[in-house]
Amino acid sequence: MKSILSACRIRLILLLVLPSGATWSQQLAGRVMHGEYQPLHGVHVFVPALMQGTATDSAGYYTLDGLPQGTLTVEYRFVGFATVVRSVSIGIGRTVLDVTLEPEELELKELIATAESPGAELNRATLSVSSLEPEELEKLRGQTVAEALSHLAGVTTLTTGPSIAKPVIRGMHSQRILVLNAGVPQEGQQWGGEHAPEIDPFAPVRIELVRGAAGVEYGVGAIGGVIRLEPRELPVVPKVAGSVSVNGFSNNRQAAGSALLESAVRVLPGLGWRVQGSFRKAGASKTPDYVIGNSGFSELNGSLALGYKGDNFVLNSYYSLFNTELGLFKGAHIGNFDDLQRVLQRGEPSVQYEFLYSIEAPKQTVRHDLFTLSGHYNLGSGDRIEMQFGLQQNHRQEFDAHRRYGNPIDDPAFDLRLTTQTFDVKFRSFPRGSYFGVIGLSGMNQGSVNVESGYLIPNFRALTGGTYARGTWVRQAWTVEAGARLDHRWLKAYPRVNQRGPYTRVTHSYTSLSGVVGTIWQFSRFWSVSVNLGTAWRPPGVNELYNFGVHHGTAQFEIGSSGIGGERSYNLDMTLRHVGRNSSLEVSAFNNWMNGYIHLFPEPEPRVTIRGTFPSFRYEQTDALIHGLDGVAEFSFLGFLEFRAQGSVVRGVNRSTGMSLILMPADRLTLSKVLNLPNLGRFRSSEIELESTFVRRQIRYPKGVDYADPPDGYSLFEVGYRVEIASGTSTIQLGLSVQNLFNTVYRDYLSRFRYFIDDPGRNVVFRLRLPIG
Amino acid sequence: MQTLSYKPVFLLLVTMLLPLTFLACDSTEPDEGPGEEELITTITLTLSAGDMTQTVSATDPDGDGTDFQIETITLASGTTYTGSVELADDINDEDITEEVEEEAEEHQFFYMVGGQASGRVSVSITDKDDNGLPVGLEFTLTVTDGGATTGTLRVVLSHFDEEPKNGTDQSDETDVDVTFPIEIQ
Repeated sequence: MKSILSACRIRLILLLVLPSGATWSQQLAGRVMHGEYQPLHGVHVFVPALMQGTATDSAGYYTLDGLPQGTLTVEYRFVGFATVVRSVSIGIGRTVLDVTLEPEELELKELIATAESPGAELNRATLSVSSLEPEELEKLRGQTVAEALSHLAGVTTLTTGPSIAKPVIRGMHSQRILVLNAGVPQEGQQWGGEHAPEIDPFAPVRIELVRGAAGVEYGVGAIGGVIRLEPRELPVVPKVAGSVSVNGFSNNRQAAGSALLESAVRVLPGLGWRVQGSFRKAGASKTPDYVIGNSGFSELNGSLALGYKGDNFVLNSYYSLFNTELGLFKGAHIGNFDDLQRVLQRGEPSVQYEFLYSIEAPKQTVRHDLFTLSGHYNLGSGDRIEMQFGLQQNHRQEFDAHRRYGNPIDDPAFDLRLTTQTFDVKFRSFPRGSYFGVIGLSGMNQGSVNVESGYLIPNFRALTGGTYARGTWVRQAWTVEAGARLDHRWLKAYPRVNQRGPYTRVTHSYTSLSGVVGTIWQFSRFWSVSVNLGTAWRPPGVNELYNFGVHHGTAQFEIGSSGIGGERSYNLDMTLRHVGRNSSLEVSAFNNWMNGYIHLFPEPEPRVTIRGTFPSFRYEQTDALIHGLDGVAEFSFLGFLEFRAQGSVVRGVNRSTGMSLILMPADRLTLSKVLNLPNLGRFRSSEIELESTFVRRQIRYPKGVDYADPPDGYSLFEVGYRVEIASGTSTIQLGLSVQNLFNTVYRDYLSRFRYFIDDPGRNVVFRLRLPIG
Repeated sequence: MQTLSYKPVFLLLVTMLLPLTFLACDSTEPDEGPGEEELITTITLTLSAGDMTQTVSATDPDGDGTDFQIETITLASGTTYTGSVELADDINDEDITEEVEEEAEEHQFFYMVGGQASGRVSVSITDKDDNGLPVGLEFTLTVTDGGATTGTLRVVLSHFDEEPKNGTDQSDETDVDVTFPIEIQ
């Protein structure tokens, strides 16, 4: 205790020495409390304009001397609590300001309330973390979650034609990424590159992206990163309000819309609800030269939220439904390897397709139901218990063009149902001295059933359980965290012998540790540096164990290896952050050592079948290293001109052979300029944005493994205009933008259909958002 | 107030754990149902010259090449054979030949001779679809005079689902692609 106090004094003296200029004699004093009776000791009280600060004493009191008269902004920052920023008018003599702090709701420190506070931003997390706030998401509405996320540094998309996009974080995707939806891990079917995450892009959430291994916090599978979808807080005011969004996209003639209504309940204070629904309907996309036949989609989603906030507890329930039907480009449905060679030589589709909204086979339909129940209970001591339960079912049907008896459009080739229950219970301590921590238990029960005989993955049952503890220590400019987690997975699978043979029953079990140590050092008012060393693991997926057959679209024969073990990542991440008055910067360097990295390795002999010859690949393990650099820098000049630069570099190497890893994203750089225009009558906050994206050709790839060399690099340009129109008390938001402005012909290396088609051409996007109530 | 608020917490716990109890017994054990996926497992060529008839087949019982067996075609020099081809799905006990006949406008067989036999053996398709384009379920195979040699006969069945069939080009969707060894005596 004593040492903390003396350290505070040293810092106070230092800070008081720093500011130059005249001295003033006004004083600001007050008390910082948690609730009504609990004083907070060691809260940082800071006046950014004067670079002057202090800390509260053991009774929660603080005094700031030598202040000028006038209005000042004061920050109150304390670990585990949401930072409060207050504007105070300093009169002659002594001004009193008492403040109450509330514990933070989110596990990672919340950004919304503290956007103006550089301290919070600089001390956000020891790992590299970014977020897309609801207002930023609004600018990207109508696109998939993966496409929205690709606006963040280090994220690219793995696409299978225009209708399927998966997020790739620092070169990793699918089962190496965890999606956390309303607090529970989203358990969809991520068996292949053509299986996109099942998420409503209009869902009223903020999205948080964690780059790198985060196994302690999020459990098995969080090797490459975590995408957190956090539903917005429910309203507390009993007034029905909401919004309607309408989008139009010219390229695929897509119409999309969403409506939302929410309110608190007058007769039962503390009870709030929200209803939301959305749709997207698109026809075939167009490249600059031709229509991509059968690439339309049709999506219908909705969600319901109901929550109650009591005196010392909170209970929230959330249900969401995702429903999609999407077509796959017909020309990618090939028979064998010779067919692929013919397509590659031709360079474009053999047929001129017409624009159509209708979807034919090959197609997929996916329905995902998710229900979560979460709550926390505040113990009298300030500690709290948090609980979460999730129940979800994913139903995926894949329709093949014509390898079926009967009608291919009604009769799926694959029909998989995955049901998952998850729970998580944790105890989160109230800060004691400079420490606070979390201990928890979590579990998952999962079953997957093949309804049809078509065999992609075997039926399986998996049970996973884990326990974890994590602690954080904060003193002055330093934050140190450490944690460990133990998980066990038991898997029972029913694979067939060689796809058509009799069913067998095999059980596997895996037990392993995850760990993290990290630190943040805020070495100046505007700068911090953080280092995080984390280790995470994942057991092999059922597809990696038991796949057996031809992968459509790429004519490759994939063979699982039932003997392979888990994959482990040791990830070292270093992040430099800067938040200034007119500039900000976040740059991360990462080194991810992957032991037992599971990948498809070409077999020496191709597979010869009655349908022809297929190159054959088997799931194998090797040691790999994925490393790189990503970051974003922003500057604003004179308040009306903003510049932003964002880039990412990823390198993947097979440590045993020295060869590059396949499908690593190419180097990319995005530059954007925003010009804020002056308000004109009812037209407010209008801005023009110019964005250019430069992608290099991927020159690091394993030679002789892929069917075609990586495509050339490309540059894309986008221009957009956004405006808010005041109408009475409400504001209408309007946006118009043109993507791929010059209708550039290009193919991205991470487009799985790059063997067959170009990526889509110019797209004019219209967005309108009307408030209700 | 303090005591009252424990009740919702208890309820919360119960509601959370309730679904676990009734869903945990769901079975994932697979049903042993019949295979329904269309799969060509056997291709049989029938070659007749005079009163001599031979059938040669290639069978891939799992469709994935695991036990793929291809028989050798034995031909006599200076002979013209009348040929036909049949396809079967032995797993579902279906005759695929009929399906190809019914959708003749969307299918075509291609016969390609390779190796040393390439100058000696020629195949010409004798049947036509409703558009007057070759189908290839029926053909004649001619072997010119000469000594004994070996080679291959590659049989490809193209499916024209998207691309129009023009009688000469293969499609990008191959249903069958088998290379039979040839021995000319």
